[in-house]
Amino acid sequence: MTNDTTSDDGIVPPHLRAPFILLILCFTAWGAAANLTDVLVGVFRGIFDMSNFQSSLVQFAYYGAYFLLALPAAVINKRFGYKTGVLVGLGLAALGGLLFLPASQVLVYEMFLLALFVLAAGLSILETSANPFVIAMGAESTATRRLNLAQAFNPIGANLGVLMGAVLILPALTPEASKVIMTESELLASQKADLALVLKPYLGIATALIVIWLLISFRRFDLPRPAAVPAVTSGNIASRLWHNRHYRYGVLAQFFNVAAQTCAWTFTILYAQDVVGVSPESAGWWLQASLIVFLVSRFVMTWLLGIVPPTRLLFIMAVFGVLCCLTAMFALNVAGLVAVVAISASLSLMFPTIYGVALQGLGDDAKFGAAGLVMAILGGALAPMLHGAVMDEVGAAMGYVVPAICLALVAAYALYDMTHARPPAIAEQALPEQ
Amino acid sequence: MNRAETDRRQWLRRLLLAGTIAVLTACSGGEEPVTIGLITKQETNPYWVTLREVAEETAEDDAVHLLIATGSSDVDVDSQRTALRDMVAAGARGILIAPTDSTALVPIIEAIRKQGVVVIAVDTPVKPLDAVDAYYGTDNEAAGRLIGEYAAAKAAELGLKPKIAMLDLAPGISSGAARHKGFLEGFGITEADDALVAMADTQGNRALGEARMAEILVKHPDVNVVYTVNERAALGAVTALKAANVDLGKTIVVSIDGGCHAIKDAVRPGDIDATAMQFPENMAREGVLALARAARGGAPPSGYLDTGVELITGDPAPGVQSKNVAYGVRNCWGD
Repeated sequence: MTNDTTSDDGIVPPHLRAPFILLILCFTAWGAAANLTDVLVGVFRGIFDMSNFQSSLVQFAYYGAYFLLALPAAVINKRFGYKTGVLVGLGLAALGGLLFLPASQVLVYEMFLLALFVLAAGLSILETSANPFVIAMGAESTATRRLNLAQAFNPIGANLGVLMGAVLILPALTPEASKVIMTESELLASQKADLALVLKPYLGIATALIVIWLLISFRRFDLPRPAAVPAVTSGNIASRLWHNRHYRYGVLAQFFNVAAQTCAWTFTILYAQDVVGVSPESAGWWLQASLIVFLVSRFVMTWLLGIVPPTRLLFIMAVFGVLCCLTAMFALNVAGLVAVVAISASLSLMFPTIYGVALQGLGDDAKFGAAGLVMAILGGALAPMLHGAVMDEVGAAMGYVVPAICLALVAAYALYDMTHARPPAIAEQALPEQ
Repeated sequence: MNRAETDRRQWLRRLLLAGTIAVLTACSGGEEPVTIGLITKQETNPYWVTLREVAEETAEDDAVHLLIATGSSDVDVDSQRTALRDMVAAGARGILIAPTDSTALVPIIEAIRKQGVVVIAVDTPVKPLDAVDAYYGTDNEAAGRLIGEYAAAKAAELGLKPKIAMLDLAPGISSGAARHKGFLEGFGITEADDALVAMADTQGNRALGEARMAEILVKHPDVNVVYTVNERAALGAVTALKAANVDLGKTIVVSIDGGCHAIKDAVRPGDIDATAMQFPENMAREGVLALARAARGGAPPSGYLDTGVELITGDPAPGVQSKNVAYGVRNCWGD
C-alpha cells in the first residue's frame, strides 16, 4: 500500500518513523558484523594455527558472498518488494550467525567460512534492499538526507563490532605461549574454549537479527507513492558505460579502494601483534582507533570537499595513504602502527567520492552504472588473500605493499580525471544537432 | 531519624554489602582468595619484569593476593632470604622463587616448607632439586640442541666448512653448561672436534661478548659459526663481527633467550640467524596457578615442568622445525 507524503512530514513521515528506526537497526547490525570479521582473521589464525593467507579466506568468504548476492538481491527486490528483500536478508544473516553454533562444535575452519558466507549473503541482500527502502520511505526531496541519517548508524555498528571483538574475544583467548607446553588434549580444550568465545558475539548478532526480523515482519510499511519515473535513455547502456573511461576507470578505482580498505583493517591487528609486539587485547583497540579516525575524518573531508575539488582531494589523500603504507612497511615500530591507523584517514572520502566522480554526467545510465561500482566490493574479497600471501613470504610489514599499490592506482584515477576532459553528458548527447 | 528509616537504611546497607560480595565473587569466578608470594632476582632485566607482570595478571584473574619482592641483582641472596621470611609472616601459603643462589637459600626454603608453605623454584633450579616442591624452567640443554641443529643444517645449506666459536656464560653455572652441551649435541660434535676452534666466557654480558669475539677473530678470522649463551652476548658478538667486516651472510650466529630487543633488532634483520626462545610467562602463569590450587586444597606441585622453548628465525634451515619472526615478536619478553 502506498501513501502520499509532503516535505512537511520531515525526513520521515510520522507513520513510518517506527519502521525507519527498525531499518536503522539493520544498518547498525551489518556494520557490526562486517567489522567483527576484521577481528576474526587474526583470531582464526591463532586458533587453527594457520598461515596469513589461509586466515584471510575469512574476508574472501565474506566479501565474496557480498559480491555474488548483489544481483540476486536486486531481483528479489524487483519481484517481491523491499520488505521481502529485507526479511530474506535478515533471515539468511541470522541463519549464518546460528551456523557458528555447529561450527564451534565440529572445530572445522571451513564450517566457520560457510557460516560467514551465509551471514554475509544475508547482509548483502539486506543492504541492497534497505538502501532503496529507506529512500522510498518519504519525499524524494529528503531522500538523500534520510539515507545519510540511516547510513550514519553503519559506522556506529562497525565500531560496536570491533568493540565486541576487543572486549569479548581478544583478551580471553588462550595465550599463544602457553600452547607451547600443552598436551594434545589440552590444546583441543583450549581450541574449543577459544571458538566458544567467537561464538558468543555471533549468537548475539543472530539474536538481534531475529528480533528485528520479527518486528519488521509484523509491521505494515505504507510507503509513499513513488514519483513518476523518467524515461530511460535508449540505446546500449553497457556499451555507453564501457566507452566512458571516467566511469570504467572509476569502477577499477572503487575496486582498489575497497581492496585497500579491507586490507588496512583486516591486517591492523596482525601488524600490531606481529611487527610491534602489541598484546592481542591492545591490538583490538588499535583497530578501534582506525575506525574512529575513519569516522572523524569523514566529517573533515566533507568540509574540505567544499573548498577543494573532489578529484584533487582524492589524489592528495590517496598519495597520503601510499605514504602511510610505505611508513608501515619500513618503520617497524609504533610509528609504523600509527601509519597503519592513519591510512583510515585517507580512505574516509574515497568510496563516496569515487562513486560520485565515476557517475558524474551519466544521466539515467547512472542507475545501471551504480551497480558496477557496488560490485567493485570484489576487491575486498581478493586483495586480503594477496596481502596475506605477501605477509607469509616476506613478513607482516611488507604486506602493506598491497594497499600501497591499490591506493597508488586510486591516485592515478584521480589524476586521470583531473587531466582528461569528460565526454559530453548523456543529456547533451541526446540533443539534436543545431 | 525514626526507627523505620533506620531499619530501611540497615537493610539497604546489607543489600549493598551482599551485592558487593556477589559481584566480587562473580568477578573472581567464585574462587577462594589466597595469598602467595613471588620473589624474582632483580627488576632491571626485562626478563624478570615480564615474569612479574604475567604473575600479577594471572593472580588478578584467579583471585590470588600476590606478594612481590625482588633482589637488587642476580646474586643478591640476602634480599631473597629476607623476602622469604617476610612473606611467610604475611601469610603466604605458597612461594614462587627464582633463586639467586642454588645452594645458599636451601636451608631457609626447607625451614619454611616445614611450616606448610609450598615452594616452586622458577628459571633456576636449587641443589638438591628436592629442596623445593617443584621446579619450573627452561630445558636449557634442549634450547642448546635446537640452535645446534639449526647451525649444522644452515652450515650444510650454505656449503660452509664449520669453524665454530662458542661464547659461554661462566664456569660452574648449570644453565650455561647445559646450553653448551646441548649445542654440541645438536651440531653433532664433541669438544674434541676440529670444527670447534675457540671457546670463551662472557658472563652473558654484551661488552664481554664483543671483546671475546674480537679476540677470537684475531686468532681465527675464518670463524663462520658463532654460538652465544644469551642474546646480550650475541649482540656484542655481532658488533665485533661487523667491526671486523665479516660477511654476516656467510656467518651463522645463534643464541638463546627470546628477548624483544634482540628479536626485533637482531633476529628480524638477520644479524642473529636464530635464537631459542624461552617463556618466562609460562613459568609465572603455571607457577601462580599451581600454588593457588595447592593453597585451595589441591595437590601440591611436584617434579619438573619444562616451560617450553621454540626456535625463532627469519631464515629457516631445512629439516629443523622453527617459528617465524612474527611469532617471536608476539611472544618475546620485555619491550
